[in-house]
Amino acid sequence: MAAVSPRIHEVPDDLFAAMDFCYEQGWTDGLPVVPPQVDRVKAMLAADQRPAETVVARHPATELELSLHAAAVNAVMAGCLPEYFPVLVAAFEAMDRPDFNFHGSTASTGGSAPLLIVSGPCADEIGMNADVNLFGPGNRANATIGRAVRLILRNVFQMLPGISDKSTQGNPGKYSFCIAERSRGNPWPLLCEAQGYAKGASSVTVFAGGGFCNVENHGGNTPEQILASVADAMANYGCITLGQSVVILAPEHMRILADAAWTRERAQAFLFTHARRPADGMKGVGKYRDSEYDKQHGGNAHGLVEPGFVHRGLRPDDILITMGGGDAGGHSCFIPSWSRGRGSLIQHAAIIVRSDSQQT
Amino acid sequence: MQLYSPMSTTPKRQAFRAPALAGLEGTRIGILENNKLNAEEMLREVAALFTERHGCSVRMLRSKANASAPAPANTLVDLAQDVDFLITGLGD
Repeated sequence: MAAVSPRIHEVPDDLFAAMDFCYEQGWTDGLPVVPPQVDRVKAMLAADQRPAETVVARHPATELELSLHAAAVNAVMAGCLPEYFPVLVAAFEAMDRPDFNFHGSTASTGGSAPLLIVSGPCADEIGMNADVNLFGPGNRANATIGRAVRLILRNVFQMLPGISDKSTQGNPGKYSFCIAERSRGNPWPLLCEAQGYAKGASSVTVFAGGGFCNVENHGGNTPEQILASVADAMANYGCITLGQSVVILAPEHMRILADAAWTRERAQAFLFTHARRPADGMKGVGKYRDSEYDKQHGGNAHGLVEPGFVHRGLRPDDILITMGGGDAGGHSCFIPSWSRGRGSLIQHAAIIVRSDSQQT
Repeated sequence: MQLYSPMSTTPKRQAFRAPALAGLEGTRIGILENNKLNAEEMLREVAALFTERHGCSVRMLRSKANASAPAPANTLVDLAQDVDFLITGLGD
């Protein structure tokens, strides 16, 4: 379907009046936005040399398209700098894949929000925060890239609260949910390396996150103690499903694993084994379904699946684990997937700088 | 000051309602359930009311693998060839 030219609105030459105009048009997330002046949008678009009408993502139900131009307008409104733009574009390229199902995950009563995890040198190059106060506030890149995702979902894809976005309770991450993976002191391969990207390349991973669960453990001194706390959070009756998981280990916790030479794969296997509930317990709270049990325990069951139990996810690599946060504090976190099942699966994409400078 | 609109530039899709049925008596019903916990039971109950009150027959039940994704086009095409109207719903 041929796109029409982007519409231009003439407004009074007054910044506050322009901000009010954006409110009146219904273009904001409730917070004031930077008015998307033409010259600022053009500066944002210069961060990607492809034609402005290039389609980055398409809504599977309404067929509305996200062009680079529309992405740039919303990036300006969110407060992004042009150097952040390749991350935003890569995030939507990843979310556009059918298995991410961004329509369902943003329309559902489940109330998930797309979590972005930026991995690789790009994070430092654009000044992202992977350290203290990881999930915010305080860092412009983290805050505005995540916010631009929300504004695009709202303005371009028309995922409007109460109309097409039917979240029962929403999620604070629906304002912004974007972090960088911490590379400093990280004993494991970075996500971008584990995902198979070339050395020096960066990636963004997208996950429909259903909330945020702090995992506090200041007394544990072994990997088993730390990860048992995480597994318990992953398997609480309110959260346990066949869905995927994101676990961000605090540096204090990660150090305990690293000192014992635990790999990511070993930690994933431990969490998958222990993040489980008895089938009878699932029946007791009304969450047991034969079809889900059969899916987990059927012919393709993973070797760690135990009869009589419902595990979180289908296999260990359903659990994405990496490190983030400040040096002090035994506070890791678990982020559950959207809703009850596997309606949205983790995706990732390379972050490619297409401006005049070098490729990242 | 000139501001760009942040909306999609995709032209609005033209959508049309199907013509209304001339009547319900003796018509064929298709059921499209979405794999949620109570979807099939609820939709069959609704279909049973049509059967009881208007002599309709249930011709086809189809399931969606993913409740939140649009039904595949071939599912809708198959259903449209064999039924007069379709009942669908959330079924949570």
